[in-house]
Amino acid sequence: MSHSLILFEDFLSSLSKLVGFHFQLRDGDKVLFHSNGDQALPALSEEMKELATRIVDGECFEYSSLQGKYDLFGVPLRGDGDVTGCLIAYGATTGNEPGMTHNPKKLPVEEMKSFLSRLSGLVQHSSAFQSEMDNVSEELSQSFEDIYMYSRIATQIKTLKFSRSMLLGFIEEILSAMRVDFAFAKLPDRKGFDVQTFDESMTEKISDLFRFSENVIGAVPQDAIGLEDNYFIVNDSRIEAGFGALHPDPYRFLMVEIRHNEDFYGWLGLLSFNMKEIFRRSELRLMKSLAEQIGVVIANTDLYADLERLVINVVKSLVQAIEAKDIYTSGHSERVSEYCMLMAERLELEPELKKVLYWASVLHDVGKIGISENILNKPGRLNDEEYSDIKAHPQKAHAILQPLDHLAASLPAILHHHERYDGKGYPDGLSERNIPLLARVIAVADTFDAITSTRAYRPARSWQEAVEILDEVAGTQLDPEMVDVFKEVLRKDLKKDLESRESPRMAVQAR
Amino acid sequence: LENNKKVLVIDDEAHIRRVVEVKLKKHGYDVCMASDGEQGLEMIKRDLPDVVITDIMMPKIDGKTLCEMTNGFKKQRPFLTIVTTCRISNDEEKWVKHFQDTMFMEKPFSPAKLIEYVDNYCRRQP
Repeated sequence: MSHSLILFEDFLSSLSKLVGFHFQLRDGDKVLFHSNGDQALPALSEEMKELATRIVDGECFEYSSLQGKYDLFGVPLRGDGDVTGCLIAYGATTGNEPGMTHNPKKLPVEEMKSFLSRLSGLVQHSSAFQSEMDNVSEELSQSFEDIYMYSRIATQIKTLKFSRSMLLGFIEEILSAMRVDFAFAKLPDRKGFDVQTFDESMTEKISDLFRFSENVIGAVPQDAIGLEDNYFIVNDSRIEAGFGALHPDPYRFLMVEIRHNEDFYGWLGLLSFNMKEIFRRSELRLMKSLAEQIGVVIANTDLYADLERLVINVVKSLVQAIEAKDIYTSGHSERVSEYCMLMAERLELEPELKKVLYWASVLHDVGKIGISENILNKPGRLNDEEYSDIKAHPQKAHAILQPLDHLAASLPAILHHHERYDGKGYPDGLSERNIPLLARVIAVADTFDAITSTRAYRPARSWQEAVEILDEVAGTQLDPEMVDVFKEVLRKDLKKDLESRESPRMAVQAR
Repeated sequence: LENNKKVLVIDDEAHIRRVVEVKLKKHGYDVCMASDGEQGLEMIKRDLPDVVITDIMMPKIDGKTLCEMTNGFKKQRPFLTIVTTCRISNDEEKWVKHFQDTMFMEKPFSPAKLIEYVDNYCRRQP
């Protein structure tokens, strides 16, 4: 109440000057406001104090006269139905009393009663209005928090792929926005996707938070209210069987299920030991929609993985179709990608980059689909026209694969796998480090496999011979560093494998 | 809860001023408010706030211009400026770095986080 009285102080001061009597606002013995400052006589102060007690006890209008010189009137002030204080008006009835404007007229009691009742009504109304305003502002402020949270989450949702770090980011936001002590997510069917975050105070209360979260989820009764709508709330652990036993201190717990359509993925949980607050409907709504968003992201990620598998299969059959056209290159792309993966291991490439290299190496010759079988299988020398046809295959591959988003990162390596280290390759004549790293890797693997395979224009050669050739062309055709990497792969990973492969390869050679 | 620190809130949207005002008062701050940049500038000169929270897109003087006009004052009497606006593109608020004790906060903002920034700054001031 005191907050809103400030607004009334100026009003009562002005009124006091106009009408010649004074006002006092009291909360029991405490004077909240006095339009006469501290000027009142001790006897008058004493009289007001007594009057106030009578008003508050009787909860009604009171009138008294002090020594026939002063008239005092008072009414109770209520807040939320209870009497919280009183409003007193007093004036002098005769002569020049100290601190008073002369007011010879005796104040009519009934009219004062009615006036003060109206005035107190105004004060109460204003006070209620003020606290209502504060509540609305507080609610609005909470909505700001919710909007902020939504906006944060919405930007994260934009990423199509669901990840552990994303989920952790989510629950960290939730922990701070919801002002709880402990937030966790559990996805039982996805390994490594259980995440939790907590206020430091939690570690003092509970030693094994993971176990605790498992137990709390386990304590949710099968037939609990709310479960039909995919949530569960207990606002006081002491009154819910199973929860009170988990920790001696009372806590409150909110859980929402993460699902999408019919699929169940897991739970999102919030826990707080602050019993001054409860979980509000708006918080539940926010949590439910967050869980829905997470569900959508997980479902999208699964769809994305399906799509990726589909693309992989389509692409693999595409490669097989091409290799079927060229009797000499069967299995070439697969072998090249195998070599590339071993080199990637030696080069310690990031997993993401390895994937890019894998696709580039599998697909590096896809462009040959547009080249006539006659040219591909021609035993003799190619004429200029035929050769320029062959040379167009990296660009053709690029054009074919460009619409596939999954493969975007692999395109440069495919386009440039026939560049030469000395800049005399095609299509762009790039040299040395200007050639993408992955293209330089593929060039070595591609060259090695070409030499060790039978071609229309020559028989296969042994891998020892191939190494000699690689050494010769290191620095001109191929990146010497990559040749070294490949030789290490050969020594450490491939030697046994190649030696065992020697005989069937010789059979091909003899054909 | 009183702390003798004064915060000026400049925003042309009344409901945002109101929310920030209530929050700040609850945390013991003395709050004054302006609904445009021109009024805000006058109040910075007159009321010497410890923290200024300002919108960018406002009538008369916009938030960026306000920062330019008041940055010089900070040499004699430092105060924190928190610039808030909806971000349309990345890095567009880079310019705040050119001003002393000036930071950016994206709208929609969390009132609790805003209080945190104000508290942190004021705690460091004598």
